[in-house]
Amino acid sequence: MSDNPLIAVGGLTKHFGGLTAVEDLGLDLFPGEILALIGPNGAGKTTTFNLIAGVFAPSAGSIMFGGARIDGLPVHRIASLGLMRTFQHNMPFAGMSLTDNILVGCHTRCDSRPLDILLGRRRVRDQEAAARRRAAELISFLGLQDRIDDHVSTLSFGEGRLLELARALAGQPRVILLDEPAAGLTQPEMARLGAAIRDIAARGIAVLLIEHDMHFLFPLAHRIVVLNFGRKIAEGEPDGIARDPEVIEAYLGEAVGGMAARQGHA
Amino acid sequence: MRGVRSTLVWLAAIVAASALAFWLGGYATDVYRKMLIWVALALSYNFLFGIVGQVAFSHFAFAGVGAYGVVILAHKLGMPFGAALVLALALCALLAFIVALPSTRLEGFYLALATLAFSQLVIVVISEGGDLTGGTGGIANYRLPSVFGYAIRGPWYTVLLVLLVAFTLWTLRRLDYSAFGRACRAIRDNAVAAAAMGVDVRRVKVQAFTLTSTLAGLAGIAYAYIDNVINPPVFGLENIFLLLFMVIVGGSGSHVGAIVGAVFLYLAPFVLEPIVGHGFLLVFGVLVVLTILFRPSGLAGLLNRRTARGTT
Amino acid sequence: MEDLLELVVSATASGCIYALVALAYLLILRPTSVINFAVGEWAATGAFIGVAILTPLIWPRLEGPYWLALLAVPAILGVLGWLVEALTVRPLIRRGASVTSSILALLGVLIIFREGLTLLFGADPLPSPPPLGFKRVAFGPFAGGSQQFLIIGVTFVLFAGAWLFFERTIWGRAFEAVALNRRAAALMGINLRLVTTLAFVSGGMVAGLAGLLMSPLTSAHYMMGLPIAIQGFTALVIGGVGRVEGALLGGLVLAFVEQFGARYLPIPSGLTLGFPFVLLILFLFLRPSGLISPREAR
Repeated sequence: MSDNPLIAVGGLTKHFGGLTAVEDLGLDLFPGEILALIGPNGAGKTTTFNLIAGVFAPSAGSIMFGGARIDGLPVHRIASLGLMRTFQHNMPFAGMSLTDNILVGCHTRCDSRPLDILLGRRRVRDQEAAARRRAAELISFLGLQDRIDDHVSTLSFGEGRLLELARALAGQPRVILLDEPAAGLTQPEMARLGAAIRDIAARGIAVLLIEHDMHFLFPLAHRIVVLNFGRKIAEGEPDGIARDPEVIEAYLGEAVGGMAARQGHA
Repeated sequence: MRGVRSTLVWLAAIVAASALAFWLGGYATDVYRKMLIWVALALSYNFLFGIVGQVAFSHFAFAGVGAYGVVILAHKLGMPFGAALVLALALCALLAFIVALPSTRLEGFYLALATLAFSQLVIVVISEGGDLTGGTGGIANYRLPSVFGYAIRGPWYTVLLVLLVAFTLWTLRRLDYSAFGRACRAIRDNAVAAAAMGVDVRRVKVQAFTLTSTLAGLAGIAYAYIDNVINPPVFGLENIFLLLFMVIVGGSGSHVGAIVGAVFLYLAPFVLEPIVGHGFLLVFGVLVVLTILFRPSGLAGLLNRRTARGTT
Repeated sequence: MEDLLELVVSATASGCIYALVALAYLLILRPTSVINFAVGEWAATGAFIGVAILTPLIWPRLEGPYWLALLAVPAILGVLGWLVEALTVRPLIRRGASVTSSILALLGVLIIFREGLTLLFGADPLPSPPPLGFKRVAFGPFAGGSQQFLIIGVTFVLFAGAWLFFERTIWGRAFEAVALNRRAAALMGINLRLVTTLAFVSGGMVAGLAGLLMSPLTSAHYMMGLPIAIQGFTALVIGGVGRVEGALLGGLVLAFVEQFGARYLPIPSGLTLGFPFVLLILFLFLRPSGLISPREAR
């Protein structure tokens, strides 16, 4: 992990009508780090996630990405700057092949101007070739080679999650936001996912994820930020969080209390 | 080697389609020519409808803008033909851009309605254009001027139409198999996810709308010189419904589907009319409903499982 | 001045017809999000059924009383609406197909109806007799044909009924609930299928009545469906999709702009055909929610 945060959030606040979903939130995300955002239902995790991803603009505060402000920018602009996200419910492009789905992820790296395409510019051809190589790499990285000729709608739920991930990685982002990536996965699928996420972070990409499954999360995350009622109530390494009384009181209860006990004996 | 083979296939198809022009007699030639125009229109409409997923009812209006544009500029205002051609196309593109900008902001089916209103307004304006547009009677008594000393008549004009179809197909396929085409399909399948992947949804929609409408304008220009007569009803609602049906029944999203749908639905009345009289339109309506209900991949899906571009 | 008042009556009557068609759209659109353009053809069907019952032109043996037409039209159109829903829309909804698929399928249905009408009744316009005769009627300063006042009267009654239905009855609330949130409505125990069926049945009935009412003024002819479908939809957009009153207001606004514009604006009469489209475009872009805003979701 290096010095400057890739994503710096300060004073982030979001009101929905009379409801304050997030209040005065600050967090930093460093390259190569896996940061998890946890909290009870309604704590503001999804809102924070969506604010950073650009789905809506904050009511107050700022979001910096690589030193430039991104709050208020349209989603596709943020994506082209190198911030990609996955969706909680799989959102594949159902009318396209597996490869094409991933190639859309490369969109920000490919010239898509109609005129350039029609004129057959060399740069277009080179980018297309590079994108296809990248897609092929990602397919083997995530173990989807067997499904390469199959229609996207025939993928299992777990494979669909991997496709989400592949698509988000295709554009070579610097930051990737994962929305409950482990939800609905079997144990072996979770292990595969965990390994993939570690690999991604090892390559220097910053990972921010929302998760509910503590058994998946705690061994994986470098740092955890805990939200409750829209505010940050704790931040730190998984061990500390598991033991933090305020966190436990807020929501973890027996589950992590027990886990902390086990970690203490490990 | 792939490149050489595909070029040969293209050439063979063009030559075969052109040869047909020399073989057909008078009446059949007229049918063939009009069918080629419908194929060209179906191809460009299919891109917007089946690939970008935008339902629009303005396609024929833009064909009309092209047709009336070139005829008015070249024959009423006496411009040199080359300039009239370019200017008419530019007008199409500009108008399409102006329509696309606000319309692509509309949600759901409202784009279709805005384009419907626009196309009806175009008809009204043309009908009330007095001397300039020939009003409801239209314009007649003009001919395609000689190009470089050659008067393109008879079967050679049909060959020109074959080339129009080839050009349209080539352009659309090239755009389809590219980052732009993928962006279009992504928008169709899931616009939210597309934006998250960096696709500028508005921009791509505007580009696609402008491009396909300009291709429609080109087809309209070619149409103007088939009968050397143009009048408002041709560019009206009836035909846009038929075009929509062609694309649906043929298999939306597939170029081959558009061609098959256009040929099938254009030629079917000639076959069906002796049998069921005017009722062939009823048959079309039923076909459309059946296609949507039972086989959304259309005729193209029936003929060839792999034509639908799900398997690259 | 007399002229102006006559124009007011005429515009109000036309506006009522547009409003009825808009209501037909609304009844279907609210719970299902489906825009059913076939309502224009349903109106045409109602007009032809009227002619068939009231005149010997179609069935020479039948020349019946008005109340028979008034009952038969909604009954037959209700059944047709149910058939269309069961055969076309329900399978699509069950499959989870997009709303656009349903709308496009209904365009196919539109053509089926139109061609069916042509095959059954021919291509010539058929006149329909006004039940109250051809005499002119006056209500205070307002004078007009008896049919125009009949249209206005029936429309207001129907709209009052529709308003009461939505505001005061359980079923109306169910419709609203489904319109606001399908999933939640289903979870609350509302039978979605039944609501959808009722939507199409009631939409068919209202559209059929609109056709029956307008036919003495315009005759019944097979091409009448599409223009009225467009005008009805424009009225809906102007008035606002959310409320019943919106359909009525939208219809009146459209008719008044059309007729007063044609009469008093210094532009060639052919151009006035463009008014509905100009209005549609204006409202779609500038005020898509219409003149009357929908109720806020709670």
